[in-house]
Amino acid sequence: MEPTLENHGKQTGNPMTFKTVLNHPMFKKTAFLTAAAGCVLLPHIMTDTYYLGIINYMILYVILCMGLNLILGYAGLLSLGHAAFYGLGGYTTAILITRYGFGFLSCLILSGAIALLFGILLGLPTRKVRGDYFCLLTIAFGEIFRLVAQAWIGFTNGAMGIVGIPIPSILGWSIRTEVDFYYLGLILLGFTWITLSLLVHSKFGRAFIAIREDELAASVMGINTAVYKIIVFGIGCFYAGLAGSYLAVYQTTVTPSNFRLEESCLMIIMVIVGGMGSLLAPIAGVIIMTLATEYFRGIAEYRMLIIGVIMVAVLLFRPQGIFGTSAFKG
Amino acid sequence: MSLLTADTIGKKFGGVIALKDVSLTVEKGEIVGMIGPNGSGKTTFINNLSGLYAPTSGRFMFNGEDITGLPAHVITGKGISRTFQNLRVFPNISVLENILIGLHCKITTSLWDVYAGVLKTRKVERQAREKAMAVLELADLAGRHDTLAKNLPYGKQRLLEICRAIVSDPHLLLLDEPCAGMNPVEMDDLAGFIRILQKKGITVFVIEHNMRFIMSVAERIIVLANGAKFQEGTPVEIQKDKKVQAIYLGEEGDL
Repeated sequence: MEPTLENHGKQTGNPMTFKTVLNHPMFKKTAFLTAAAGCVLLPHIMTDTYYLGIINYMILYVILCMGLNLILGYAGLLSLGHAAFYGLGGYTTAILITRYGFGFLSCLILSGAIALLFGILLGLPTRKVRGDYFCLLTIAFGEIFRLVAQAWIGFTNGAMGIVGIPIPSILGWSIRTEVDFYYLGLILLGFTWITLSLLVHSKFGRAFIAIREDELAASVMGINTAVYKIIVFGIGCFYAGLAGSYLAVYQTTVTPSNFRLEESCLMIIMVIVGGMGSLLAPIAGVIIMTLATEYFRGIAEYRMLIIGVIMVAVLLFRPQGIFGTSAFKG
Repeated sequence: MSLLTADTIGKKFGGVIALKDVSLTVEKGEIVGMIGPNGSGKTTFINNLSGLYAPTSGRFMFNGEDITGLPAHVITGKGISRTFQNLRVFPNISVLENILIGLHCKITTSLWDVYAGVLKTRKVERQAREKAMAVLELADLAGRHDTLAKNLPYGKQRLLEICRAIVSDPHLLLLDEPCAGMNPVEMDDLAGFIRILQKKGITVFVIEHNMRFIMSVAERIIVLANGAKFQEGTPVEIQKDKKVQAIYLGEEGDL
């Protein structure tokens, strides 16, 4: 393609660019196999449990951010209440395991289902409430969830949270060590990635993008935008429920402070830094933000300041995020 | 039976009467033009027909079915596609993906199929891609299927918008000022393209300001003025009509 004024001659189909090499099927296949093998072997190379612990939290956030990216990056709905769905998953698992003796696998499924259900319920107003107003609604939902978790002492044990969640086991595999949790996280991450990639490469994924790009035109294409916005919100929240379930058994406690507004903001920042509208891009955001917060642990009181600086830098120099699609260039 | 019958369509926005008892018919296989001065209600008429607004009175019969006031996505499913006056392609995705979104209502994949019927979904997607490429071929855009829609030249974006509307094999295509901002060469290409669509069995209803274009392309022209139907006839009749000239240019005595 000729360099034109619009694209400044950048990476659009010129045969020798970096991007075309990256998109080559052979390169993709090799890169995928290397990455997969690397992921499986990682705990044997990096045996330090401190680092493995950090990686486990990264996996947790990647699952959360991939779900959020579906809502924010694909369908263009800004949700600042994602931590509430994360929390719904966490509390569902914690309560079912400690009080009713459920197995972990059924807890995992139910946590996802409850988050999905509440996601659909919160998605219902998207029919009438748009843009910034919908965002306010999600903030309100997040705060209501946190306050209920704090105040309903009989059910959630209040600010103390639910402690002593036992070691989970799936089909006889009891998950005890950091390495076990790493593999559990990896399985969940694989599930998230496969199901999301099936979804975004179907007519549903295209419909979400159409809604983001131009809602009116989308409806004229035969897309029932009201229903699709509810679907995308519900599905995005489902993954937050799974992540919450993982957090509950990994941390062995859940408290309301795990699911504050700051947590929702952090997820949004991770998605923005990594890049919106591209399935795997949030991984970059999660890695950068997690490493930054770990590295600056010594000056923990300035943590939010550092996160802010990173985000401003990304927005200034690469508004679409590190690996985002050009839709968010500004 | 006519393909489309509009029966005394009226639309009010508060106290403003945008459309007043507009009645017209469109026969299968025709190319019908609609002209009228700015603010005469042409776009409002199309918006009512395509379900973006609901008419305050009157009804639309399409293929013998009452479609008055149905939501836009349902009307598209019944076989009425449209383009917009102010170009509404999806800018940040590729040309091919734009067309695939146009095929949305023809792809039967359910949410269950996406997860449980992977092979079936893949097959449907492959067929959709072939269909989309065939339409791009028709408009000579196939070579640029990977380009982001916003990086296409303006005239090509207009063409892309029409391709996106026809890929779902509509019975009726509504074009809202397709020539806006085009140069004369692009206009001639577009006129040729509309005739190809007619040969493929698509009925076309086109709103246009450019007289040279509408006179060359339309077989029958409806003139709208102040929200009401003013005149109807063949391009030759309309061109000769003194009253139509008057609403555009003013009375002879005014000059």
